[in-house]
Amino acid sequence: MPILDIHQVSLSFGGLKALQNVNLKIEQGTTHALIGPNGAGKSTLLNVLTGMLKPDDGSVMFDGKPLLDVDSYDINQLGIAKVFQTPSIFPEMTVLQNVTIPVFAARDGSFRMNMLEGYTKQRPLIEFAEEQICELGLKNHMHSIAGSLSRGDKRRLEMAICLANKPRLLLLDEPTAGMARHETEKTIELLQSMNDGITKVIVEHDMNVVFSLAEKISVLSQGQIIAEGSPDEIKGHPKVIEAYLGEAQV
Amino acid sequence: MNNQQSFWQLNKAVVLFALVALTMPLWFPLINGYSGLDTKIMIFCIFLVGFDILLGFTGYLSFGHAAFFGIAAYSTGLMLKNFSDNIIPAIIVAVIAATLVAIVIGLLTLKRTGIYFSILTLAFAEMFHSMAMAMLQTWTGGENGLTGMPTPMLFDIKMQGSAVFYFTAIMAILLFYIAKRIERSPVGLMMKAIKCNQTRLEYTGINARKYKLLAFVISAMYAAIAGALMVVYEPFVGHEFLGWHQSGEVVIMSVIGGVGTLVGPMIGAAFMLYFENVLSVDLGEQWLLVLGLIFMFVVIFMPGGFMEAVERIKKRFITTADGE
Repeated sequence: MPILDIHQVSLSFGGLKALQNVNLKIEQGTTHALIGPNGAGKSTLLNVLTGMLKPDDGSVMFDGKPLLDVDSYDINQLGIAKVFQTPSIFPEMTVLQNVTIPVFAARDGSFRMNMLEGYTKQRPLIEFAEEQICELGLKNHMHSIAGSLSRGDKRRLEMAICLANKPRLLLLDEPTAGMARHETEKTIELLQSMNDGITKVIVEHDMNVVFSLAEKISVLSQGQIIAEGSPDEIKGHPKVIEAYLGEAQV
Repeated sequence: MNNQQSFWQLNKAVVLFALVALTMPLWFPLINGYSGLDTKIMIFCIFLVGFDILLGFTGYLSFGHAAFFGIAAYSTGLMLKNFSDNIIPAIIVAVIAATLVAIVIGLLTLKRTGIYFSILTLAFAEMFHSMAMAMLQTWTGGENGLTGMPTPMLFDIKMQGSAVFYFTAIMAILLFYIAKRIERSPVGLMMKAIKCNQTRLEYTGINARKYKLLAFVISAMYAAIAGALMVVYEPFVGHEFLGWHQSGEVVIMSVIGGVGTLVGPMIGAAFMLYFENVLSVDLGEQWLLVLGLIFMFVVIFMPGGFMEAVERIKKRFITTADGE
């Protein structure tokens, strides 16, 4: 059974059909890339998965549970985390505090009124957060203010936040957008080194990133899936070339 | 390095505040502070600490906290007048009444952020103000205010003079301690995360809405306790307790003191009340102008308020001590 099953999802913004009858199955433990030209609906699809947008039609099942009409925080509690195009962190807090939040979210759920417990005194939880930070190579920044980190380190911190409450599905929206070559390579290494069985869905423009990471690729164009297959199959697929380069070049 | 922070490290601010507060009757007259003003300062310390849990932690600027202050004051007044002159049931009923109102207002206003939230809270507070002035006039006394309360009693103790002061000071210390505990708790962490990045917080599995409502209600409870104590301090409730001027004053005190520091807003409250009641006499009619200039100076040069100045001085001392 696929971990994520998107069935006949459609969504329009006014007259613009952003998604049209999208069907997509993501297998457990794989890295699945979503590619396509600008405006193809890739980010829209991710926003549907995180509860930010409600589709007009269709269904999304995660691990056998329906995802539509579930709030963003409950979707995260079910095990879906998202890495944003621009690293989304808590800039005024320290790196350790940033990662402490998901650790408590994992223990306490979406809301718990434990006002008299000192969070720094919960040693096992804090140690777990520290481990996550070290694993992502931010050991030397443990007590730095998150907003002062470099872009690459912010991305690492965001990954640490996402991984700290042990997601089963990680959504990555252009994780290397705006990065320099060496930072992109570091990010690829980082994602490749995560051999912990987490399923990943990655939206990316950089084909180098896509072909380095993805086991399976789906191509979106004008809100529809036009091709699906292994990286080798996609490379030579005529519809894909057409979608990217236009008919003249075929 | 010891990871477990000692009692002193964790509670330094509370201990220092307790020392300053409890010795206030000794040193306050030396700077021309009259007795009674010290009690009022303690009451506003409570109001401001609670307000900082909302504004300082979550970043939501309420322009309507006078509603909770005023509702609690009227409830306390009516309880003292009609039920019993004991302040304990009066304060409890006042806090419950204000809390219930806060839950409703919070649910309705927290759907919006920024200026829209501020305007909505202001509108609700003004609604209560006009209700007190007209519809509920027979209860509230309207323009004349609520009067005719007996001398408030704490069981057998007459709540007058220093008894009121020490009662409010102990309440202030206790409530400051609770606020500090909240700040160190996971709840405090989540509230502060709302201010930093609400989207990330929601995508990290946290129901930000509930934490916002909790912050709003807690701050309303603090305002309610302050409002109730105002009546214990002086058995009178004026309609201006509910007015927008009252709400605005709390915001100004917070900004002058240093939003988000808990201690800062208390210093802001003490400074403003001292300025209004003591220094204004020396400055004559120009005192509001001077206050305005001070406010502008703080906002332009020290956006972190008095606490930023304290931090800067601390830093300078530490760096020179390390450097040489």
